[in-house]
Amino acid sequence: MARPVRILLFATARAAVGRPEIEWTVPADGMPARALAADLAKAYPRLAPTLRASRLVRNGRPIGRPSERVRPGDEFAIHPPYGGG
Amino acid sequence: MSGSIRLSRRALSFPAAARALAGAELGGVVLFAGRVRGERSGPGRVVALDYEVHEPPALRALRELDRSARHRFGVARTVLWHRVGRVRAGEIAVIVGAAAGHRAPAFAAARFLIDELKRTVPIWKTERARSARRPRRRRRPRGARSSG
Repeated sequence: MARPVRILLFATARAAVGRPEIEWTVPADGMPARALAADLAKAYPRLAPTLRASRLVRNGRPIGRPSERVRPGDEFAIHPPYGGG
Repeated sequence: MSGSIRLSRRALSFPAAARALAGAELGGVVLFAGRVRGERSGPGRVVALDYEVHEPPALRALRELDRSARHRFGVARTVLWHRVGRVRAGEIAVIVGAAAGHRAPAFAAARFLIDELKRTVPIWKTERARSARRPRRRRRPRGARSSG
């Protein structure tokens, strides 16, 4: 059985889902980051506005193209606008 | 030479940051510290900020900032320190600094570092506020009786 994608949620994304982390099953050959984000917005409607303003990060690196594939076992992070300092 | 990068759950020391920028040939040293403001928040007051970080990409972004500052401004040393977890009002949440032969590149680099840190490093803060207290009622001495 394919390993799920580990989805990390920070700040407003965590507040919208109510957890810092969830697991998500994707097809064995992966799926585009944009499609994964759309599925998440459908499953968690409160996450949708945050997703629109967020950067998407795969395995610690920003996703360059929305068509970039997220594969089983990947870590996929949702980064709302940063607020350090 | 390289930058000093730190994501810390413990208090940040301004003197320690100054020591990290020491060097006999470094005539211009600029350090900036950002503290948590105990400002008003709705009906209450901010007592702390909770900082969360996505650590691997944050460390990568901080290393990239250090490289950029040294390349763009020619500074010899940098400091990029940030607290994570709960930081109480009045405590230092961030220190950035730069040291160079002269003051102009040190000022420019320090400004660049704090501005870009806020923009590019995956760190988030959440306010913790406390409601304004009502004035305490004076305690009646034991045995005293109400006159009403």
